[in-house]
Amino acid sequence: MIAQGFKSVGWVAAVGAAALGCYMLSLQVASERAELAKIERQIIAAKQDIRSLQTELGTRGRLSQLEHWNAEVLALAAPATGQFLADEMMLARFETQDRTVEDRVKVRMASHETVTAPDEAGVTAQPRLIRAAANAEPSVQPQAQPLFRKASVETVSGKPVATPVRTASVTSTEKSAPRKASVEKAAPPVKKAEAPKPAKSPATQVKSAGLLSDDVLGDIVDAAKSETRGGSKATR
Amino acid sequence: MNAIAIERGGRVSLPGKRQQTLALTYHRLMLMMLVFAGVTTLIVARILYLSVFAAPSDGGAAVNPLLPARGDIVDRNGVPLARTIDAWSIAIHPKKLLGDPDELAVKLNELMPEKSVDQYRRILKSDKTFVYLSRRALPELVAAVNALGEPAIAFDREPDRLYPNLELGAHVIGYTDLDGKGAAGIERALDERLSDPATRGTPVQLSIDARVQQALEAELAAAMHKFSAIGAAGVLMDVKTGEVLAMTSLPELNPNVPGKGSMDARFNRITLGVYELGSTFKPFTVAMAMDAGIVKSLGQMYNCSSGLRAGGFTITDTHPFNRACSVSEIMQESSNIGTAQIAAQLGASQQKEFLKKMGFLDKVEIELMERGRTLTPGNDWGEVATMTVGYGHGIAVTPLHLATGYAALFNGGIWHPATLLKVGKDHPLPEGRRVFSEDTSYKMRALLRLVVTHGTGKKADAPGYRIGGKTGTAEKVQGGRYTGNAVVTTFAGVFPMDEPRYVIVTMLDDPKGTAETHGFHTAGWNVAPVVSKVVSRIGPMLGVQPRMDTDANLHEVLPFVREGN
Repeated sequence: MIAQGFKSVGWVAAVGAAALGCYMLSLQVASERAELAKIERQIIAAKQDIRSLQTELGTRGRLSQLEHWNAEVLALAAPATGQFLADEMMLARFETQDRTVEDRVKVRMASHETVTAPDEAGVTAQPRLIRAAANAEPSVQPQAQPLFRKASVETVSGKPVATPVRTASVTSTEKSAPRKASVEKAAPPVKKAEAPKPAKSPATQVKSAGLLSDDVLGDIVDAAKSETRGGSKATR
Repeated sequence: MNAIAIERGGRVSLPGKRQQTLALTYHRLMLMMLVFAGVTTLIVARILYLSVFAAPSDGGAAVNPLLPARGDIVDRNGVPLARTIDAWSIAIHPKKLLGDPDELAVKLNELMPEKSVDQYRRILKSDKTFVYLSRRALPELVAAVNALGEPAIAFDREPDRLYPNLELGAHVIGYTDLDGKGAAGIERALDERLSDPATRGTPVQLSIDARVQQALEAELAAAMHKFSAIGAAGVLMDVKTGEVLAMTSLPELNPNVPGKGSMDARFNRITLGVYELGSTFKPFTVAMAMDAGIVKSLGQMYNCSSGLRAGGFTITDTHPFNRACSVSEIMQESSNIGTAQIAAQLGASQQKEFLKKMGFLDKVEIELMERGRTLTPGNDWGEVATMTVGYGHGIAVTPLHLATGYAALFNGGIWHPATLLKVGKDHPLPEGRRVFSEDTSYKMRALLRLVVTHGTGKKADAPGYRIGGKTGTAEKVQGGRYTGNAVVTTFAGVFPMDEPRYVIVTMLDDPKGTAETHGFHTAGWNVAPVVSKVVSRIGPMLGVQPRMDTDANLHEVLPFVREGN
């Protein structure tokens, strides 16, 4: 009965709630829409700003102004004919290689022997020999090694130009006669090292020696000193 | 109730009357309720209506705020050349003035010194309702004037035309008047397109390249200054499409304040000024004769031994041969005598016909409205006139005529009208008309390259850019007669000559000789170097790569040139 009495009130409440709900929804939509409009206005304002800033930038950086700055400060000129390159090959010609650390070390290795032996042929011959010895190292017995070094020192001490290496290897075989097999193994690498040598004419060697700058020579002297103090670096 | 009624009125109400009154009250109440209900319903209905129907159309959407008051003008790469900005204007309502006019006049003069204190005082004391004090004022100035605190001063924002590059291409772009209507140049020619709301949203794209324009203007201005010329003009055109990449007329004009420029500065020498362009006409005469079958070989000989009698006067050369000369030599040394003979062989009617086909007898074809009328011999086009026209005298055309003529001569023989609008899908290339044969066009390449490598135009050469062209020095007519003192020097060039792409015409009006030019004021000394400088600056921008390993086929002409001229 009581429920019956409140039925109308219930209806009113329900309708009211529904209406309120609808209203809230539309309010929500309206506020979203207003937000959108606001953002659109902001976008437009930003675009207008961009335009005016672009205009200002364009006016301040106008071509006549740039030309004026160029004349006063930069003094840049149009590229000349020779500055245009047809292809990559032309570009590659411009590459000048700076000497890498590796290159410099090589030079030092070759020339630090120069100090101990002024004979230029010996200079190039020696590192090869030593390297060959180093290559042979695994196969050769540990005792064989100082033998090789000794041999190289002998070479330096006054053997003729082209032959020293081979004679060096010969002397080494003589001295290590008891261990023939191992020396024979060691010998071929030495000969291999020898093989490219004739290709390098003495003239080019002189030329490369002449290209050494003063500070490189300074390095050589230092290296030579340290060698005499602490033994050969080449065998490290 | 009764008691109350008695108390109130102090009268006794009868029951019948009371009921009547009560009914009336109910009626009135009901009526009031209905009225309230009605009004509420109306308001609710209106709100609902608005929320449903009126919401989408929120006022400002109809007018696009990004739509400029007048369309932009940009160059072929999109660099803005003209824009409309919102500028501040400062105005005053003298009648509403509250402060002391004398005091205010002094303060205004301090802030804006372009008018004197007296002038300000006169404005402030006048009985006008509205006077502009400053248009296009800087925001700082507006703030300073606002700080004066005079309520009669009004500030407003109004659209104003701005040319960011100042003088650059002023004669092409033109300018607007105070009401924002186009008064010159493209602004005037395309006024409708620029102001129509339907079309002004998209910028007008010109064929001008701002960088090329700048290079041409700067170099020409330098030459004009160096040789104390009274004016200069230059144009650079695409040979195949007729697009004008740069076009300038000096003395320069700042279109932001066109009123401050002189009449001379506002004058467009390229399209409005007509000049006798002298020897730059000679290639046309030779090409016409080649096309007509009169000149069969570039080695054909003419008698250049002495002055040529024509009518009442004698045609002479500046570099006389005093012997027979070939067509190649005539071009190389710019011989009037030789060219006059070729022109005479061609005859007036054929010459006229060719000139007509090249558009030389009519106003030059371009979008601009400032176009000069060609001056021709008219009815006196007899043999003498044919001869003089053959070497560019007795006919006055604009420098742009010359450029379009050269373009036609070197693009394979097809004439196209010059255009200031970028050729693209919005502006297709109009169909041209054939003037010269392809063979003639090809042969002319070597001939004009010869002028630059071995002839009068040596100073126009830019290493690697294979420039070919012709110099022209024409005496100016002063007081009805030619004077040797004042000349118009022209160079019409084409590059690269082995595959022509661009034509460049430069002109100096009345250059003087200097110590550097040994006192000469001929084209080879003053205007040819401009071409060399301009081309070496713009060549890379235009994609013309300088090359030393290719050139026009000079073997076609060199055999006909005697060494040691």
